[in-house]
Amino acid sequence: METIISFVGEQFGLEGVLALSIAYAVCIGSLLGFITVYAMFAIWMERKVAAHIQVRYGPMETGAWHGWAQSVADAVKLLFKEDLIPRSANKVMFLAAPAVVFCGVFAGFIAIPFAAGVQIVDLDLGVFFIIGIAAIEVIGVIMAGWASNSKYSLFGAVREAAQVVSYEIPTAVALLVPILVVGSFRLGDFNAFQEEHGWLIFHNVWMPIAALCYFISSLAGCKRAPFDLPEAESELVSGFHTEYSGMRFSFFFLEEYASMFVAALLVSTLFFGGWTLPFLDVTSWPYGLAQGVGMAVLLVKTFFFIFVQMWLRWTLPRMRVDQVMGLGYKYLVPWGFAALVGTAVFEYYGWRFVPGVF
Amino acid sequence: MYAVEEKNDVFTEELKLNLGPQHPSTHGVLRVELKMDGEIITASRCDIGYLHRCAEKIGENVTYLQFTPYTDRMDYLASMNNNLAWSLAVEKLIDVEAPERAQWIRVIVAELNRIASHLIAFGTYGIDIGANTPFFYAFRERESIMALLERPSGARMLYNYIRPGGVGHDVDDQWLADVLAFCDEFERRWKEYNTLLTNSHIFIKRTANIGVIPKDVALAYGCTGPVLRGSGVKWDLRRDVPYLKPYDELEFDVPVGEGTHGSLGDCWDRYWVRMREMMESIRIIRQACPRVPDGPFMDKKTSGMYKTPLKPKPGEAYVRCENPRGELGFYVVSEGGTSPIRCRTRAPSFCNLAVLDVLLPGTMIADGVAIIGSLDIVLGEVDR
Repeated sequence: METIISFVGEQFGLEGVLALSIAYAVCIGSLLGFITVYAMFAIWMERKVAAHIQVRYGPMETGAWHGWAQSVADAVKLLFKEDLIPRSANKVMFLAAPAVVFCGVFAGFIAIPFAAGVQIVDLDLGVFFIIGIAAIEVIGVIMAGWASNSKYSLFGAVREAAQVVSYEIPTAVALLVPILVVGSFRLGDFNAFQEEHGWLIFHNVWMPIAALCYFISSLAGCKRAPFDLPEAESELVSGFHTEYSGMRFSFFFLEEYASMFVAALLVSTLFFGGWTLPFLDVTSWPYGLAQGVGMAVLLVKTFFFIFVQMWLRWTLPRMRVDQVMGLGYKYLVPWGFAALVGTAVFEYYGWRFVPGVF
Repeated sequence: MYAVEEKNDVFTEELKLNLGPQHPSTHGVLRVELKMDGEIITASRCDIGYLHRCAEKIGENVTYLQFTPYTDRMDYLASMNNNLAWSLAVEKLIDVEAPERAQWIRVIVAELNRIASHLIAFGTYGIDIGANTPFFYAFRERESIMALLERPSGARMLYNYIRPGGVGHDVDDQWLADVLAFCDEFERRWKEYNTLLTNSHIFIKRTANIGVIPKDVALAYGCTGPVLRGSGVKWDLRRDVPYLKPYDELEFDVPVGEGTHGSLGDCWDRYWVRMREMMESIRIIRQACPRVPDGPFMDKKTSGMYKTPLKPKPGEAYVRCENPRGELGFYVVSEGGTSPIRCRTRAPSFCNLAVLDVLLPGTMIADGVAIIGSLDIVLGEVDR
């Protein structure tokens, strides 16, 4: 952000509000572009992963090479679809819901560091901000479910609200563990810390537990199987977006994949070294190259975790509402707190794996 | 408990949820009216008849032979077994018996079709529970079965192959060899299914102790097939009332529910009975294939009667067969004409479905879907 402002200032002599608004436009535009392209790729990837798990090929025709253009074609189709609003729907809320849902995740992208310096704003409370702003999505989903005036939508929305709000507790608790070690909420600091001390997942014996807790609760937060109750197809037809079609539906879709990305990226950044590699020190490399390599490393890690999310989705059955809640409150929250307290004790005494030894 | 002031417009009420007739998990056009208290079902009422095609009435207006294709369309996932029951009923009426070879072929095709039908039950049950992948695995094997059944019958789903007096066409030795090869492959695949779904912890959690049908309820509601056997009643017409000679000579077990992961007669038990029945069918086919004798595949006397419509002597016949879904019975009354004056079907899905209204109240909506799936109904047969 600052880079762009200063660049605009130097090159075109612009200052103040004008420079700021240009910088905003560039940032938002590039982020939107990134999310769209990423979502298209992720949808294609999901279909391919699903297909190969299910002994079939998936899209093969559109765009010659393994159906790479299938998502593009789908997006175009969704854009051109008739804009349907159910007659008995609450129009204002119905129209606003997809935007609200998308906003939450989109705002989270602002604080995400893709590589050293490649970040819109390096917030002091980056982690906090991302998980906090993502909660806006729940409001949008409830709006969608209520405004659709469909019983299935309402069921989906209520399930979503209960699930996502409950799972914010284990998410936050599990994230506090690496935060405790690094001593900062700033996402950039995690990368710097791991560059120096190695990946946090190997930091102490509690870290894998915290990582697992976070990953599972992030699945629930993204409404991914086995926690896809809000849109449980065999029960609720399509859940809260049953009545949506065309462009508005695609916003819900976009949101789902964008939040998958955020979740996977947080796992890679907080536990798996972010843009750092254990045996590769890029800090001394020239400015552009280090950033490029760092970004590539981070994206590879992120996509690995996205792949794991897809893998789980196409392998596991869906859980029941009470079982999902039970898992959250009976297993993830206690284990998250155990990891938190354990890490605190271990950090205090300087232990890592075996208490009292090393 | 909480007194709601009348002025307050915030109030709670029962939610009436209309599950179906177009719903992803009602296995066709079943409509269930549910009364919901949040996620919990408080009352349910089945509404059937969306696929009513007057099959029984048609039976009273067409000749005996012409009705065979209509039986295909009742339980369209197990057409061979339907053909078999109808053919046996007509044979009983005209007092002929299919030749030895036809009987053995009937056993093989009926058991193959039973596997195909149970594969659908397995695959769609996975989808009901939220696992989409088993469905594709099941359909891969079902595809092989359909290809096998297509070779003698010429059709993939609605075979019209078993006919009064025998079977429609002969099979060759190569076909029998291919059936045996399929058995080998299927045994390997069956293990995959169990790793993928049966032993999945989430799957067990979702199905064990859900939709428990006690033995006496199952008997009282006239449940048959895997639904009855899932409740621990060892009753299988193939074993207890062998309607085809070969079943007497073949060795096979009748799997019953054991309450492995919870109560006896829960969804998991019914599911597991179906899974094991597939393996029993494989066992039957393995024994039957080498024992198919030479000889005619169609009774000469009956096929001679095919040129003019059959005219059985006045009388009545009731035959019941073990379909994949339970006891399929055909009751035929003849008054000497070319078509029966009464042609009644005892459809297993219809009787099994009756127990649904007992099972649903008090469960959650996700369990409701699991219960409907575990009954494994085919609406073509329920509504006829």
